[in-house]
Amino acid sequence: MSDDRDTVTLPDTIELPRLLDFYELQTAEHTGIHEFYENLRAGRLTTTQCTDCGETQFPPRVVCPDCHGDDLEYVDLPHDGELFAFSTVRAGPPMGMEDEVPFVVGIVEVGDVRLSTRIDGAQYEDLAIGDPVRLKVVEIDGPADHERVFFRFEPR
Amino acid sequence: MTRNVGIVGGGHTRWGSREATFKDLVQEAGKATFDDVSGVNPADVEGLFVGAVQPERFAFQTHVAPMVAELLGVEADSMIARTELACASGQAALRYAWLAIAAGEIDTALVLGVEKMNLPDDHMPEAQASMTNVMDREFDGVNGLNAPPYFAMVAQRHMHEYGTTREQLAQVSAKNKSHAAHNEFAQFQEEVSVDDVLDSFPLSPPLCLFDCSGITDGAAGLILVSEEKARQLTDEATWITGSGQACFASNSVNNLPSMSGWPQATRAAEQAYEQAGIDDPVRDLDVAEVHDCFSISEIVEYEALGWVEQGDGGQFVEDGRSELDGDIAVNPRGGLLGCGHPLGATGVSQALEIHDQFRGEVPAERRVPDPETGLIHNLSGSASVHSVMTMARGRP
Repeated sequence: MSDDRDTVTLPDTIELPRLLDFYELQTAEHTGIHEFYENLRAGRLTTTQCTDCGETQFPPRVVCPDCHGDDLEYVDLPHDGELFAFSTVRAGPPMGMEDEVPFVVGIVEVGDVRLSTRIDGAQYEDLAIGDPVRLKVVEIDGPADHERVFFRFEPR
Repeated sequence: MTRNVGIVGGGHTRWGSREATFKDLVQEAGKATFDDVSGVNPADVEGLFVGAVQPERFAFQTHVAPMVAELLGVEADSMIARTELACASGQAALRYAWLAIAAGEIDTALVLGVEKMNLPDDHMPEAQASMTNVMDREFDGVNGLNAPPYFAMVAQRHMHEYGTTREQLAQVSAKNKSHAAHNEFAQFQEEVSVDDVLDSFPLSPPLCLFDCSGITDGAAGLILVSEEKARQLTDEATWITGSGQACFASNSVNNLPSMSGWPQATRAAEQAYEQAGIDDPVRDLDVAEVHDCFSISEIVEYEALGWVEQGDGGQFVEDGRSELDGDIAVNPRGGLLGCGHPLGATGVSQALEIHDQFRGEVPAERRVPDPETGLIHNLSGSASVHSVMTMARGRP
């Protein structure tokens, strides 16, 4: 055996791969619910409703889980909602969210839909169940070849 | 079911933040399991069921069931698979082994649950990301909604709707962690008082750090056999008398039936109770290992498993009804709060605790007086699925 060993070099860091990125790829090329993201980019929070049985889904779907109809249309959800529950993350953040700690996460009721969301613009101590909140749209700066957005809420 | 199925023994690794790989844990638990069961050797195993949640993320390894077979010298010549049901993966493995034996497909199964969760310190956000993706990643996980804030909101709603108190939550943690102080494999082996819980770091209020189970490396194994096989091996086994599961077409937050109650657990328990002939669980159950991933979970479970009315769970612990000498001794092992929660191993370990309690093979400080019947319960993910199994001590 030679004393001169070859070296296998590994990178110190690996660029965040898309599948380790929490935000979905949002265009028609990648997802069947691209219209949800297109509407959100235009400032509208929408979801799907089945034209066969009339059920509204959230999250939006491409097939109705209730009747398996696949003719779904996008309908608007209210932009004003009410805080149903909330807590905060003060340690142990998931990868990519380390710089945001502490952050507030909650469940908001908008119309008949109850969704989980980040609550921006407030500390945990400032909030109470039933507080009025409003939609905000944030832009996602990350490893994708298209502009991405997501919804959050803030006190109103 | 056509045939009775018994647990005849099992074993644990030490649980905690271990200086060990996924494969090391498998070998330690496998050795402990076969060492505990005289008369069953790796060559006797016909079915291997491995509970493991995220080896792809935590240990960068897929296809782990044949790896377990190789590491333990098991020639599984009839059935082999890994089960993944998030935090209930261990009970899922146990349930499939039970079904396979009950149906007559095999006579002897090894159930092994394992999780390697701790990564080097500066990589723990990756472990946390893996935990967060147990939720619907696109709409729930993306908000940083991992387990502590999720169960904190369950606690907040339960306190809001039913008046459950912060002290009652702490009583659950103090009880279970203090049991773990007398459990030699547990991650956290210190007596903890109610004040210790209340004074711990307010991680995701209303939950504090001591209201939360740990990030844990660990594994556990069990040997299950048919009644016919059990008769050749032992004069006492732990019989699986019932098993149920329920999920109501829901996983993400909008579609869950409730944030303050778990009717899926009620449905799963009703199935198991009916199979086991349990009419009154508080009267008929002696010991239970329930999924206390957070202190609030155990309180909701008292209710959902049909032991008290919805909303009265806090009073159940406050009145001491879940103490070792109470109506049902709950989590004498130390629970997930005290033992830690290596996801795939937890359900397996709970069943082994029932077996050890039946045999009286636990330290006196946490021994349940003469138990004859037991129950294990696991929830998974956003508590969208609940799994319940009942057991009884008896002769083959």
